[in-house]
This record gives sequence, C-alpha cells and structure tokens, in this order.
Amino acid sequence: MIQNIQIKNNFFILHPSGAIFWEDKKMLLIADVHLGKVTHFRKHGAPVPANAAFKNLEKLTEISNQFQPEIICFLGDLFHSKLNEEWQDFEKWVEYTKAEGILISGNHDIIPQYLYEDLGVKVFDDLLLDGFLLTHHPTEIKGTFNFSGHIHPGIRMKGVGRQFVKLPCFYKTETQLILPAFGNFTGKHILNPSEKDEIFAIVEGEVICVSKKIKE
Amino acid sequence: MKQSELISIAEDWFQSKKWKSFPFQQKTWKAFLDGKHGLLNAPTGSGKTYALWVPIVLQYLKENPDYKTKHTKGLKAIWITPLRALSVEIQQAAQRFADDLGTGLTVGIRTGDTSQSERAKQKRQMPDLLITTPESLMLLLASKGYDKTFKTLTAIVVDEWHELLGSKRGVQMELALSRLKTVSPKIRIWGISATIGNLEEAQDVLLGMDSEFRKNAVLIKSKQKSKIEVRSIIPKKMETFPWRGHLGLHLLEEIIPIINNSKTTLIFTNTRGQCEIWFQKILEKHPEFAGEIAMHHGSIGKETRLWVEQAIRNESLTAVVATSSLDLGVDFAPVETIIQIGGPKGIAKFLQRAGRSNHRPGEPSVIYFLPTHALELVEASALKRAVKEEVVEDRIPYLLSFDVLIQYLVTLAISNGFFPKEIFPEIKNTFCFQGITEEQWNWCLNFITLGSQSLQAYDEYKKVEITDEGLFKVESRQIAMMHRLSIGTIVSDSMMLVKYVSGGFIGTIEEWFISKMKPGDTFVFAGRTLELVRIRQMMAQVRKSSKKSAKVVSFMGGRLPLSSQMSKILREELQSEADHKRNTPELKALSHIFDRQERESIVPGENEFLIETFKTREGYHALFYPFEGRFVHEAMSSLLAYRISLLSPITFSLAYNDYGFELLSDQFLDIQNVIDNNLFSSKYLFDDLQKSLNATELARRKFRDIAVISGMVFQGYPNKVIKTKHLQSNSQLLFDVFRDYEPDNLLYLQAYRETFEHQLEEGRLRLALERINSQKIIWKQCEKPTPFSFPIITDRLREKLSSEKLADRIKKMTLQLMK
Repeated sequence: MIQNIQIKNNFFILHPSGAIFWEDKKMLLIADVHLGKVTHFRKHGAPVPANAAFKNLEKLTEISNQFQPEIICFLGDLFHSKLNEEWQDFEKWVEYTKAEGILISGNHDIIPQYLYEDLGVKVFDDLLLDGFLLTHHPTEIKGTFNFSGHIHPGIRMKGVGRQFVKLPCFYKTETQLILPAFGNFTGKHILNPSEKDEIFAIVEGEVICVSKKIKE
Repeated sequence: MKQSELISIAEDWFQSKKWKSFPFQQKTWKAFLDGKHGLLNAPTGSGKTYALWVPIVLQYLKENPDYKTKHTKGLKAIWITPLRALSVEIQQAAQRFADDLGTGLTVGIRTGDTSQSERAKQKRQMPDLLITTPESLMLLLASKGYDKTFKTLTAIVVDEWHELLGSKRGVQMELALSRLKTVSPKIRIWGISATIGNLEEAQDVLLGMDSEFRKNAVLIKSKQKSKIEVRSIIPKKMETFPWRGHLGLHLLEEIIPIINNSKTTLIFTNTRGQCEIWFQKILEKHPEFAGEIAMHHGSIGKETRLWVEQAIRNESLTAVVATSSLDLGVDFAPVETIIQIGGPKGIAKFLQRAGRSNHRPGEPSVIYFLPTHALELVEASALKRAVKEEVVEDRIPYLLSFDVLIQYLVTLAISNGFFPKEIFPEIKNTFCFQGITEEQWNWCLNFITLGSQSLQAYDEYKKVEITDEGLFKVESRQIAMMHRLSIGTIVSDSMMLVKYVSGGFIGTIEEWFISKMKPGDTFVFAGRTLELVRIRQMMAQVRKSSKKSAKVVSFMGGRLPLSSQMSKILREELQSEADHKRNTPELKALSHIFDRQERESIVPGENEFLIETFKTREGYHALFYPFEGRFVHEAMSSLLAYRISLLSPITFSLAYNDYGFELLSDQFLDIQNVIDNNLFSSKYLFDDLQKSLNATELARRKFRDIAVISGMVFQGYPNKVIKTKHLQSNSQLLFDVFRDYEPDNLLYLQAYRETFEHQLEEGRLRLALERINSQKIIWKQCEKPTPFSFPIITDRLREKLSSEKLADRIKKMTLQLMK
C-alpha cells in the first residue's frame, strides 16, 4: 500500500495520500493542498459543494495521526487564495496538531507571512536540510536532492486493447522528487517521463511503482 | 385602414418589383394582421422574410396612419436568427420594403459582431426592427430596464426555428419568450421552420403551454417544393479507394471539373479541420485557383467571413470551402453547385445544404456527394432514396434543462432582479419546464442564492442575493460581468485569439491545440502557414512562415450521428446487397468490397445478425453490426460490455459508428457465452443501461456543457483579458467533487438524464434488441479485419468500461514515455 524508498541513505515513505514521511527527520512533506480553493470559488459564485472543503483537513489529520511527525513541511500552495473562512479551520487544525509547521512559500501563497507566524508556522522561500533542498518549484542545485511540488504530476499508462489510464504520481529523477498535489480539488498535469525516471503512481489507495518494468 | 387596404399596399409593392406574392405569404399577412401567432413552414429562398416582415410594417401603418410625416419611436419587432451570417441579408430585405413605403422605419443588427459603440447607440434608441441572435437577446434581458425596451414590441419572429429547437439554444429562446409575453403585452410570436417531422410540436414549443397563445395560433405551410438532384462522385478505381478515413482527399481531382463548370461552387465539409485541409490541398494541387477560392468557417475572423460572403454575392469567387457556418438562410444567387464531402449524417442537413444552390425555375438544385471512404457510398445511395421518398427527421426538444434555467435566472437577477412568485408561472408555462415541480424550482433558487441546499453557518457563497422585499438580485459587479461574458449555451473548448505580432486578427482556435506547440512551431490556419512566436494572455501571436508541411489546425467538436430515419434506409440498402441486387450505381461500385466481405465473413441479410471476432496486435476485437445508427450503437455497446463484465472481470474499449460497434479487450471474448447468457435480452434494459452509464464516461462528458452553461465553470473570454486563472477549474474535477460530496445535485443528475434522453434513446435501443432477438445470430471467427470492421476498429474516439480492479489493470499496462 505504501512504498519505502531510500535516497542518500535517508529513508522515506511514499503514502497514497500524496504525502511523504521522512523517517530520519520524523518530517511529513506535503505539497499543494490548496486550502481555501472551494470557498474561494463559492465566494465568486461557482457553487462547488461546500463539504469538499473539509476533506483536506480531515486528510491532514488522518495522516499526522498515522505518522506522528515532529515537523510537517508544506511545499507551497498551502492556501489557494486570499484569506477566507477556511483559514479559521486551518487555525484550529494547527492548534490541534502537535507537530511543528513549516511552509515553503509557493506562487499561490499570498496570505501575509505574519499570519502564519502568529500560528507558529515558520515560512521560508526554500530550505536546505542535510543536502536535501525543499522548494515549491522544482529546482536543481548541484549536490542537493530536491523535493518540490507545484507541478501536480500525473502520468498516462497504456495497455493492450487501446486501454489508457491517467494517474497522479510521485515523480522521481536522479536529483529530484516532485510530489503529487495533496488537495482534493486540484487536478493533475500529465508528464512524459524519460526512461531513467522512477514513477510511483497512486492507484485506489495504493502507491505502485510503474516504471520498474523499464528498469529491468 | 382596413385590412384589405393594407394588403393592397403590399401587393402594389410586390407588383412594382415585378413579383407575385405567394399564397403562403398572403395567408401569413392575414393571420398576423388578425392578431394571430403561428409557425410558418417554408424553405429558404422562398420569400419567407417578406411573409412576416410585411405584416409587421402593415400593422405599424395601421396604428400610425400619419406614418409618412411622423415616426413613432420604439422597438416594434425582433427578428431572431441562429447565425450572424444571415443578419445582413434580412436587414437589406427589410429595409428595402420599409424605405419604399416611406415609413421611416429603421432596421438594426445586434450580434456578437456588433461594435461596442453601436450597441451603446442602440441602447439609447432602439431601431424599429432589431435582428439578433438568441444569445444577444439574452444579453438584452441582462441589462437594466429591459422591460421598458420591450414594452412597445408588437412581434418576435424566430427564424430557422428548426435549427434552435433540438438544442439548448431553443430552451434559451423559450425562456426569453416566456418573459416577453409578460413585458410586451402586444406581442405576436411567430416562428419560421424548414420541414421537419414534428412541425406541430415545434409550434407548441415555440408558443409554450398558455392556452391563450395556443388557441390563437396557426400553422401555415408553403406548398413550394425544392427539387433536388443528388449525384455521387464514384471513384474510377474502386480497388484503391480507402476503407476508412474522413478526409476524402483521394477524390480531389474529381471535383476540379465540377468547379470549373459552374459559376460558384460551395464545398461543404463536416468539420473546421477538414475545411482547412481541403482548402490547403486544392491550392497545393491547383495553384491556378489562387485568389479564386476561399474558406469560411466559424473560427475565422469576422472580417474575413464577411468578405467571403460578400465575394460570393459579387461572383468574384469560383469556389468556397465551408462548414456548417454557411449552412443556413442566406441565398447566394451565384452559387450553382454544391459539393458535400463525407456523409452529412442527417437528411435535413443534406437537404439544407443542397438548397444553398441557386434554383432556376423548374430546374433542380444539384448536390454532389463525395465519399471519404468506401462504405460511405452506401450512405450516398441511402441519401438518394431519402430525398426521393421525402423522409424527414424529428427535432427533439429538451426538457427540464436546469442549467439553462439557472443561467436565465441569474440573467434576470443582474438586470432588474426578479420575484420568484412572478417568474415561476412564466417558467411553468414553457414547454421545456412544464413538468417542473415546486421542489425543483426551490432547489434552483437555493442553488443561485446559497450554492447548495443547506446553508452553512459561515458560508461565503455569493451570487444572487435576496433583498428585504424578496427581490432576487446580483449586487456584485464582478459576478454580473462574469455572467454576461458567459451567457450562451454553445460550449466550446477554451478559445484563443490568433494574431499577427504586427497586429491583425486572424481568428480563434482551441486552446488545447496551441498548448501542444512550442514557439517556433508552425501550423496551418485560415489557409496560411503560421509560426507561433509566443503566447500571451489567451492570445497566440504568430508570424507568416514559408516553411512547408506543418500541422493543420484541428478542432474538437462532436461527430454527428446518423438519424434513425437515415439508418433505417441505410440498413435496407445494405440488405438489398445481401440479396445481391446491387441496383444503384453506388452499390455497384462497391462490388469488390462486398465480395471481399462475403469471402472473409458475410453481408448479413434481413434475418441475420452478424458478429465478427478476430485478433490483431491491438488485442481481441469483437464486432457487432446492428446497422442502427451511432446513438443506438453507443448505448448497445455499453449495455453489452456491462453485461459481459458481470460474468468475469474484464476491460473493454468501445468504438462505434453508424453501422456497428466494437468491443476491444486484452482477453479473448467467447461469443457463444454471450449468446448462451442471452445478453441481448431487452429484459431489465432500463436498469442495466443506467448501471452501464455509471460505468462509462458518457455522463461525465455531458456534464461539461452543463457545468459551463449553469455558470459553475467560468471559461474566461478570448477577447477580454481578465485575470481569472485562480477561478478556473475544469468540469471533470467538478464532476468528481459532486459525485463524492453532493450526488443529489440536480445539475449532476441532469448529466445522466440528458445522456439517457438525448443520446441513448432507450426506445430505439429496445426495438433494436427485439429485432436482434428475432434474428439468427451469425458468429464469424475471422482471420483478419473485414471491410465492414475497418472504419470501426480504426476509430480513435473511444469509451471504456471495466469490471477489473484498477490496480490489476495497471499491472498489465506500461508507462507512456517521452517521445
């Protein structure tokens, strides 16, 4: 159901929710939650079901209960829009959760930094930890391994009988790993991997490595 | 003035033009002057404009006896036309009559092409006759004080009503009329329709359920018949003619003599992409036509379109390659010949196109049919019979289209605002919403005010607000503006403007096409080779390129299904083939294909139902040939796939055309098993069909239009660059969210209902299954694809259905890599 991978002698768990648990640091990495998006749409007259808004925080709660992380690091686009009512739910959630919060700022994160800091969430443009570079946009810096979001990566699978399926995925190259979007109202962007890339697709609650066949 | 005096004014005018009025025109004049509503059934080019414009003017003369000296201001009549290309013609005809009588009446046009300044001028002072489209009429209802604008209205004429009837634009029209009935107390409602199977129903839909309007209405039919001659272009060498394809370029040379022998030729294609390619190829092979042929389709800039239309009238063009953008209405007198490329799929459409050519009295209109693949010749043969036997199709009106209703309610809310108790009876009186319940009505009101049914304590949903007096009103200017930009029921992909870097607008193309290109890539559009320079805010900037060969711009866009009438005739043509009659030139030409089909399989006779199976690199193919038309095949294939998938886990990819359908799988399918389990049974049909619907993506696709029309997806607009990226979502995402969080949403449910009512045609499916059950099933296990199977198995637009676990399927699949 999950996938364990090892990068630079560190151990990571890829979870079907789209999150990664960095075992050595007891840190959860989560990209592109896009909180507030549902409410933002509703505020502008697009009646997306309001219930969809709660699901993201429920998912966050579930996953932090499961891994009991010390740090939760959001790799950008935590909040989709300007402040709206979903912020208050987020505040409650931060109060409730025991872990320390970190936000790597993304292009959607336009909420003033001090509001996060008031909640005890630290905000960075990027973060370098033991040779691991945490960013929102995929970034290559020599000698580092990059974790990022932003792309909402997906892939296309092809089978006999003209079968096609598109799936969200963890997209890993030699120097970086792009996380799928964690938020439930986000969509995905289909990429065409090269033969060297490792792809971990999310399939009905399972993380499956779909690039293995190529490597063999 | 007495009626007879008024009519003699019109007759005198006709005489002064050396014309003679037709009986249907006189009938219409009298009925109109008697205060009646009605539907006029008359073909294009028969003088239908004067049938209704004349009495509108006469009515004005009657009410304003001193009309020569004093002009009474205010809108008198609205003329609705489905295509903006038609408006100029109508304006000229109408203005001529008004001027010759010295009435001082003015005729104006208001469509998407009308300039901002012209609109503003109209707002200050409406012309006496306004020619407009359903969408522009809706926009008028979206402006403050529309009730005053429409108060003086004496008539609304809906031209080409048959075109609007079977679409959501028709629903839009019904709603607009329901409002006009109240705000324009003197209104007469008239429609003009070409011949369709359900004319009486068409009239009922137009007039709505009010008995007052229905009682006081007439249906007038013109006796004029247009004679049409269909000629097939039969390939000289049938052996090398392809079995599949949709372009038809193999026969390009055959049309050259036709073009050369005729004053002006219109060449109709079925899609814009095909139109671009044909234009390109004709010029490539015959550069001598440069400057003498042109192209016309809906995505080309307005100026070019108008120029082409004018050039046809001036006889300065030899040929025009066009799509349905030139289908309707206007008569281009110099057009002598029509060429139809590929099956038109419907008889009415074919007749309409045929009617575009100039008919000299007594001489028939000539239309050439150019097949794009071999079996299409059967269609040609069927079309000829349909024309001879005067078969016409029905246009099925939409029922309970909540998406259009929601759009309409918001429209009213951004102009004057509305009181539900005033609007509900109007809605209930339309044909479309005659069955709406109080509960559904309240749901719609909640939807536009609360965004759902239960109010969240701190919800920020904002669209329509309710004032203390109970008036439903939009207060936000941004919401009002976004709504105005989204009015309409024709949903297309997100469009992008194409402009030269130096300025100069070329046209619009779908965003998905351009999104696949990089700067420096070239493509062919509007007959020119262009190089993409950059994309800037929904605008593709290009420059001319001299590079050869490039991608020709393509457009999504639906395929037209064969109508039921047409497929019946088609089936009969083929069955005559099983008896080896080959009694038409088209069927004769197909001899070798039928021979090959006989060799490898069979040509099924009247009492036979053919199933073929074979294996290729792609997997295991199973083909079924009911010859019932695309819609029935679509439904039957998903029904059958669903029933088979219950027997054991299996995944299918489905394809269908007008002749049959295919179930493609990575597993062998034992047809004996299908027969033994009685899977063609019409028992539990409704239930199984619904379940198969859930298993496929048909409803999901329908939902796209619904989401856009009801304002859930804001598309932005090509010519207004507004930052809306943060508000863009796609309907697919929304569909999932509704399925997971609000499955009882009426709009979500509407997607399923529409698929059911307008696409699957349960009734026809049931009859087809019963027919199959009375037939002998013949299962042929073939070595390789047969001639009949070829066009189907090569179809790339596919539906899928699976009962396997996704994870199991993934394990059998491979990752699509970079090319």
